Amino acid sequence: MFDANMTTFDRSKLLKEGTSHSHPIFCEDDDPVMDCVEMLLSVLVLNTCSTFIKITIGSESDIPLISPQSIGLPPVKKRRRTKKHLQCEELYSIHCTSHLLSNSTKRRKERLYISNSCTVSGVCSRNYRRTLAAAGHRSRKYIFHPLFNLPSAQRALDELVFEDLGFRSLFVADSPSLVHLYEASRRPEGLVSRARCSLVVDCGFSFTHAAPVLQNFTVNYGVKRLDLGGKALTNYLKELVSYRSVNVMDETLIMDDVKEKLCFVSLDVPRDLRIAWKQGKSNKFKCTYVLPDGVTHTKGFVKDWDEAKRYLNSADQGGSYLDATEPLQDTKRNRIDLAKNEFNLTNERFLVPEMLFRPADLGMNQAGLAECIVRAVNSCHPNLHPVLYESIILTGGSTLFPQFAERLYNDLRPLVPDHYQVKITKQEDPMLGVWRGGSLLASSPDFESMCVTKAEYEEFGSARCRRRFFH
Amino acid sequence: MEVEVMESEMVLPQHLSFKRVQMSDKYPKGQSRGRHWKHLKQILQAENYQSFPPNQPNYVNIESPPSMYPSKKFCDITGFEAPYVDPRTNIRYANIEVFKLVRSLPNEYVQRYLALRNAAVVLK
Repeated sequence: MFDANMTTFDRSKLLKEGTSHSHPIFCEDDDPVMDCVEMLLSVLVLNTCSTFIKITIGSESDIPLISPQSIGLPPVKKRRRTKKHLQCEELYSIHCTSHLLSNSTKRRKERLYISNSCTVSGVCSRNYRRTLAAAGHRSRKYIFHPLFNLPSAQRALDELVFEDLGFRSLFVADSPSLVHLYEASRRPEGLVSRARCSLVVDCGFSFTHAAPVLQNFTVNYGVKRLDLGGKALTNYLKELVSYRSVNVMDETLIMDDVKEKLCFVSLDVPRDLRIAWKQGKSNKFKCTYVLPDGVTHTKGFVKDWDEAKRYLNSADQGGSYLDATEPLQDTKRNRIDLAKNEFNLTNERFLVPEMLFRPADLGMNQAGLAECIVRAVNSCHPNLHPVLYESIILTGGSTLFPQFAERLYNDLRPLVPDHYQVKITKQEDPMLGVWRGGSLLASSPDFESMCVTKAEYEEFGSARCRRRFFH
Repeated sequence: MEVEVMESEMVLPQHLSFKRVQMSDKYPKGQSRGRHWKHLKQILQAENYQSFPPNQPNYVNIESPPSMYPSKKFCDITGFEAPYVDPRTNIRYANIEVFKLVRSLPNEYVQRYLALRNAAVVLK
């Protein structure tokens, strides 16, 4: 099913093509003589590149174990009394109950780069212990890394994998190539697998990468990074809501929920702003989110779903609402009853994801996503340009915003030469896209030969891993 | 340590045979206990990226460059389109009602609003 592309991940090729690079990690446990079936089963695929760690054992069909990469801390005032840090699973299983309100979360990584190897090893070993128990102690693992991981962080990870956790071998590859691999295997007749190249836009938790992939390798001189991701968007929404209605600066988890449920990407910002300006029924974007009160409901929720969904049919009505003249004088925003614990959202709903497309409007001196893609493509060979524009793959949790792909197309079209086609493919399950590619690769027959073993690590040290994986 | 104290065996010996990891191994002398957090900025500085060749891609230079297009102006208070700027505070505002509010704000709040779009005056 995925033979044609798997073979290109051959090790000999890996060694030949020195310009490319790749990063996941892969480890294997004790038993040197394992039969093939067991080997396939015992690959532990692990995606650390996001809010959630995704772990699975081997083949693609397995449902991954998803656990968040953070621990919960009680609010500062209570911290002295309850010293207990909530472990990750507890945090997310009950995270909306009332006593957890205003928990801050503490992440093991800053911008996905390990900043404290101590805590990382904590969360890893916990997860390994749990998963390894299930896998009969022969599991191996697979970690995906962000592009251009810092050398010191890579060394720390090597050390962690081989010395602290005692795995037997390790494989590192980067996420865009894995997304490409997965997409190519899903549609063997499609352009992505025939041309063997694509442009992967990974819009994840802490930043967005636009990375051209050629022959299953990321073209590293073409990668462009935008320092914006889901986390920054949540923070921005948090600030906006806190400044305009209720103070929610401490409620990261709730605001995450609000962002996921209510935010969408606007196809025409000036028009939508004019609609959001209006009062009453003609304002299609206004909706109310009710905060948990800890008594009757322990989870925040959207007050009226129909109201929240109205923006979707706003586009097909054309310009009919543009002629409205009433609004401009009644700018006073609706008074929100603070006792009722709810807040209204209007233009915040689309201005927050707007940040990805036009960071400059909101105070970040970086080019937007569309420009970023164009620059990434332009840094590749001109012969590749038409193919890259036609095979843009969207992955990562932030692409789940409604109308994301349409907006990206609208933004890209004027920037791309007329005679090139632009085609944007959305992944079915963008949060798991990278992980699926990884598990696919892990179940390939020549995977074994691609990793660095513990013996090699002990002999040559971390430099061996660096050379093998082209960091 | 004084000889009397050592002889009276009032202090714990250095090596405890029942411990799998000795205290001296766990907390080596001269190193601070507790966890060291390094922020990304610190790590980046330690990497010494300035000395790398500029044509080789690395973490710092794959950053998306500044936009070539002019930015839109949004009202700092309400988030709507802002045709006006208050010359005194530099806050962008959408209409006269917001302007009244802007003029009634104390300077501290003004700075906080400006900080939302990274335009606050930072005193160093």
